[in-house]
Amino acid sequence: MQRVTDMQKVTVERTYQARLGELWDLWTTKDGFESWWAPEGFRVEVHRLEGQMGGALHYTMIADSAEMVAAMTQMGRPTSTESRGTFTQFQPQTRLALTHHIDFVPGVPPYDSTMAVEFFPSGSRVRMVVTLDPMHDEQMTRMAEMGLNSQLGKLDRRFAS
Amino acid sequence: MQIDPFEALADPTRRRIVEALREGERPVGDLVDVAGIHQSGVSRHLRILQESGFVAMRPDGQRRLYSLRPEPFLQLDDWLAHYRKTWESRLDRFGDALQRKRKAPCKE
Repeated sequence: MQRVTDMQKVTVERTYQARLGELWDLWTTKDGFESWWAPEGFRVEVHRLEGQMGGALHYTMIADSAEMVAAMTQMGRPTSTESRGTFTQFQPQTRLALTHHIDFVPGVPPYDSTMAVEFFPSGSRVRMVVTLDPMHDEQMTRMAEMGLNSQLGKLDRRFAS
Repeated sequence: MQIDPFEALADPTRRRIVEALREGERPVGDLVDVAGIHQSGVSRHLRILQESGFVAMRPDGQRRLYSLRPEPFLQLDDWLAHYRKTWESRLDRFGDALQRKRKAPCKE
């Protein structure tokens, strides 16, 4: 069994055949961020992205497929949601941390969620390591809000039987 | 009320209690030492852990012995697997975006 304290952190990493600057730009420029951040069925419109220490990030996540619009409507959720964040660490092409301000969950006091990204170049490849705290993560919270908790409900029923 | 497993473990004192119980069944007195707070506080946290399904209690004479139940941890594993998959997908999209960018004509 995983240590309880370790459950707070999830690390996801990839190694890309690319220049370090190309990866960095995908995190720290408007066009770059918009090109990959949104999940399937959504797109992101970045209103403000200040690639610097303390810089602001402001974007809207918009359901852009008919299926996702229908699904969100069925769940009684808005089809677009604004998010705001800040670059709380910014060491160019080395490390960044992005802190999201989670203030969209009804009944839950606002809180901050931080993800850290580190870049390790080696020859023509770059390893990118993303460290997340699922307990306080925007994506996690959004999933919970969208009703994916029903999966836990199914498990509850399985264990109850 | 059913408490979300993450909510139950969000509190550092409850995590210390759960860590202590990983070694096996323990009476509340042992857990007071581990938690570093008053017994009434430990009892409150144990009640929350019981309600969220993490902890079971059985009487043993005058004592109450607390132990871990596996079910919520399986739920957390399932939840984390889903969470990780979400992020794996996101990094797949990151890789795709990188490829597209590399294939696009250079602006300089």
